[in-house]
Amino acid sequence: MPFEQAFALGSVLLATTAFSGLVLAQSVPLWLALPTAIILVISSLLAGGVRFVRRAMAQVTLSPTLWNVLLIGAFVILLIDLVVISRDLLQAGIHFLIVLLGIKLLTLQQRRDYRHLYAISLMAILASAALTTDAWFVPIFLLYLLAAVWTLLLYHLTQEGSESPSFDSSASAAVGHAIFPSHITHRFFWLTNGTAALTIVLTLTIFFLIPRIGAGMLQKTSGEALRTTGFSDRVDLGTIGSVKQDPQVVMRVELPDRLPGEVDRLYLRGLAYDQYNGQSWSHSGTRRRSLQIDADGTFLARPTGNRRSDDPAGTIHQDILLETLDTTVLFATPFAELVAGEFLSLQADAMSGLHLSSPPSSRVRYSVTSHVPRLVADERTASALAYPDSIRSQYLHVPAGSEHVADLAHRVSEQAFTPFGKTAAIQQHLLENYQYSLEASTATLRHPLDEFLFSRKTGYCEHYATAMVVMLRTVGIPARLVTGFLATEWNEYGGYFTVRQRDAHAWVEVYFPRSGWITMDPTPTVDTAAATNRWESIHQFGESLRLQWDRLFIRYSAKEQLAAIHEVQEGGDALWKRAIHWVSLLIAPVSQAFGRLMHVARTFQPDMLGFATGAIVVCFALLLLTLRDRISLWVTAHLPSTSRQLVIAQLYTRMVRMVERRGVSKPPSSTANEFVKLVEEGWKEAVPMVAKITAYYHQGRFSRTPLTPDELAHAAEQVGRLQSLMKKHFVRITA
Amino acid sequence: MNPSHAIRSIQDNIALVIKGKAHVIEMSVVCLLARGHLLLEDVPGVGKTTLAHSLARSLDCSFKRIQFTSDLLPSDIVGVSMFNRQKQGFEFMPGPIFANVVLADEINRTTPKTQSSLLEAMSEAQISVDNQTHPLAHPFMVIATQNPVEYHGTFPLPESQLDRFLMRLRIGYPTLEEERKVLDRPYSLHPAEALEAVLSVQEVLALQACVDQVHIEESLLEYLLAIVQATRQSELLSLGVSTRGALALSKAAKALAVVRGRDYCLPDDIKELAPIVLSHRVMLNRTHGMRTQSFEQAERMVLDIIETVPVPV
Repeated sequence: MPFEQAFALGSVLLATTAFSGLVLAQSVPLWLALPTAIILVISSLLAGGVRFVRRAMAQVTLSPTLWNVLLIGAFVILLIDLVVISRDLLQAGIHFLIVLLGIKLLTLQQRRDYRHLYAISLMAILASAALTTDAWFVPIFLLYLLAAVWTLLLYHLTQEGSESPSFDSSASAAVGHAIFPSHITHRFFWLTNGTAALTIVLTLTIFFLIPRIGAGMLQKTSGEALRTTGFSDRVDLGTIGSVKQDPQVVMRVELPDRLPGEVDRLYLRGLAYDQYNGQSWSHSGTRRRSLQIDADGTFLARPTGNRRSDDPAGTIHQDILLETLDTTVLFATPFAELVAGEFLSLQADAMSGLHLSSPPSSRVRYSVTSHVPRLVADERTASALAYPDSIRSQYLHVPAGSEHVADLAHRVSEQAFTPFGKTAAIQQHLLENYQYSLEASTATLRHPLDEFLFSRKTGYCEHYATAMVVMLRTVGIPARLVTGFLATEWNEYGGYFTVRQRDAHAWVEVYFPRSGWITMDPTPTVDTAAATNRWESIHQFGESLRLQWDRLFIRYSAKEQLAAIHEVQEGGDALWKRAIHWVSLLIAPVSQAFGRLMHVARTFQPDMLGFATGAIVVCFALLLLTLRDRISLWVTAHLPSTSRQLVIAQLYTRMVRMVERRGVSKPPSSTANEFVKLVEEGWKEAVPMVAKITAYYHQGRFSRTPLTPDELAHAAEQVGRLQSLMKKHFVRITA
Repeated sequence: MNPSHAIRSIQDNIALVIKGKAHVIEMSVVCLLARGHLLLEDVPGVGKTTLAHSLARSLDCSFKRIQFTSDLLPSDIVGVSMFNRQKQGFEFMPGPIFANVVLADEINRTTPKTQSSLLEAMSEAQISVDNQTHPLAHPFMVIATQNPVEYHGTFPLPESQLDRFLMRLRIGYPTLEEERKVLDRPYSLHPAEALEAVLSVQEVLALQACVDQVHIEESLLEYLLAIVQATRQSELLSLGVSTRGALALSKAAKALAVVRGRDYCLPDDIKELAPIVLSHRVMLNRTHGMRTQSFEQAERMVLDIIETVPVPV
């Protein structure tokens, strides 16, 4: 493919990726996205050289003045947008940006237009980076980076082409052939992609190695909070049903001390409710206590009234990444004992619900150590249990008019003589005799429970759980309703549970004096995982990528960096160690230096760290900048002679361009020596440099023996001198 | 032998006779090194013959001068077979062409028949008489002069003959300063006769071998071919440059590189030589109002065409 065509295509691709970034960030309304998409398609066809489109577009060419008028119009609309419609600078700015993008795409003619297009694309990708923290940004960004590398390289090459005389006339385009290729060769293809890959690797390295200050940089701007139901002070019967279809991910739960497949159902407890008035559930005790923090920042959340048994099998660790929700509730396997996370305070209510002080503005990552209570063996067989008064008064209340329910409960449980037996019988009855259905909305009924139990006999988790609690209470067993999530979707790629809105669940906790609150679920298991087809595994894979994205990039903070370095230094397991050994060798000095820096910074002031980081980055950049020429020379010195020929030719073109900026231009048909004469007339001070470079150029470009690295260095030095002469001249003009 | 020293010395030697005109002297040396033949075209009395004479004198080799007139016969040039009584057979008596340097003075004054007798000699460095082939001396160089002004009684050289000359040079009037120097000289002796040879035949051959070693870069060849192509496509010309012309240009460029002390060609070499190497090989388009073409016109056309061809970077 010729360079020019590849260049045009690459430019359109660049714009497309930037645009799709904005679209995926959901910041482009449809009325704007649609025409822009059409424009993108047209311009990619144009760039691809489709003759039909080219002919059609040639007929609708508008004058530049009209475009300018359009541009001003767009700006006016931006102002109106800003003041009246969206009233948000970012939103209005993005709308304007997209309009600009569309207009630029239609008026791509000069190289200047292409430069504008790149600037617009850059702003668009920056805006979409600011608007989202989702994982889809990764492929978009990688594509953008690839397109950017391609386009800028081609821009540069076609620039050289259009400026160096040998490409000017088509009649003799062959003249320049020997030295500059004008088509994409295999070598060029791989070289460019390699450059892009190198850029990505470098970016990642810098991202991971640059010392972090404070928390993750990207986490401040998460998307909107997810609407949840069932976790407020009052829960109407039948409200959970509305979210049962929603596949939005609420949280991801990893179980570090469990093997994959060991746990297939995980109850994540949210809130408990003790009072039922016949239509809705509510809590009686709204008083919350703040949890204490121990030395390493862990909240001690051992629930009151629950005895701690020393059964290690009942202990379960969870690492949870909670999406932004509109509730303050934290979810965990019952019952949480230790909670560690990035929050300053944590409260527990009387029924062991965990609350943050305010709804989180971003995703929350926390880890919980829970202890799952087990039914003590002798309570399983005890015929009567002595409940404390506080429990009896709080958890045996049933709404008025529950006589039917009581009858049913007695009838169901008359075979059993122990509280546990009765509980089991009632649970069994509900499991066996009722149909699970999401159709059964009972939110408007006066007696939803009677309706469920006696007439309709279909319902969902809330109905089952409510029925079981009320039935248990009527036979004198304390019980309460719990809402939360039931995690069943195991992601085998990432090794975690994906919990979605549709996994919202309600179940029952039954009180046993010595064992504590035991989780029981009367809802029959429904095969909610509708299809385990081949898409499922791809889906799961994507899901796990998202978690990694979040962990590695969004929430990458100083703490995680230190942890990562620590991990790299110490090495996790043997495999990890072996695989990462060489990386650790590379990183060790860096991390040591970083550690020393941290130490120094700590001994001064906290502000010093930021300053030092900035200083290092600036120093490094300056070092690279000053050594740029030397590095490139070092590289070229080790190149084969044909490439050295190319280097001196490029140095020469650079010189010509510099002199041209000073007003002495080189006609295409003039030779280098003739150009020296022109410079003598136009810019006397530059003659020594120009003459020397020309001599080197002649020798390096046309003779049989290539220039030595030293000679190349001298030539480059002369170019540098010329540059400083230009700067002096510029200063003189401006002063 | 130091090539640049040898070239320097021959140029200096000729300059003893030809005052000024360094460029013309340099080009004639280039022609010599490129194993080419030189056509000097100018008004009478500006030193055409003197230049040819002094170039020949500077070389330690044989030199013959043929004054071309309308009654000159081919056998006057190549020689004639005569009956030898003692040997009872024909014997070939070599003509003046059997010399290292042959000055063909006023070449356009003789008949085409005689002119064409030069053809074989110039292109193949041999002549055939009576079915016998006689090789010419080595090195062999023809320096021809012709007068552009007088058309009466002249026979313009055919294109094929012109094509065999490597370059066509014009000497031009000297500057005032140079002309005074010419006049200041004591006129007792023909100055060219006074010159001493500075280069032996072996040295000339060695210098010619040097030219073959010169490196001409790929893109330069393409530049050269682009120029040649442009002459063929130009509307100004009815006849473009032949492949022999392209070959001549590259040969001359290499020789110029040697003369300038380089072992590689530059775009400048090609660009500088193109007018004098190519202009006598093209024909101007008659529709542009010129019935006959002059040296200046053709040269200007070629220069115009070169200006349309970009130089490789």
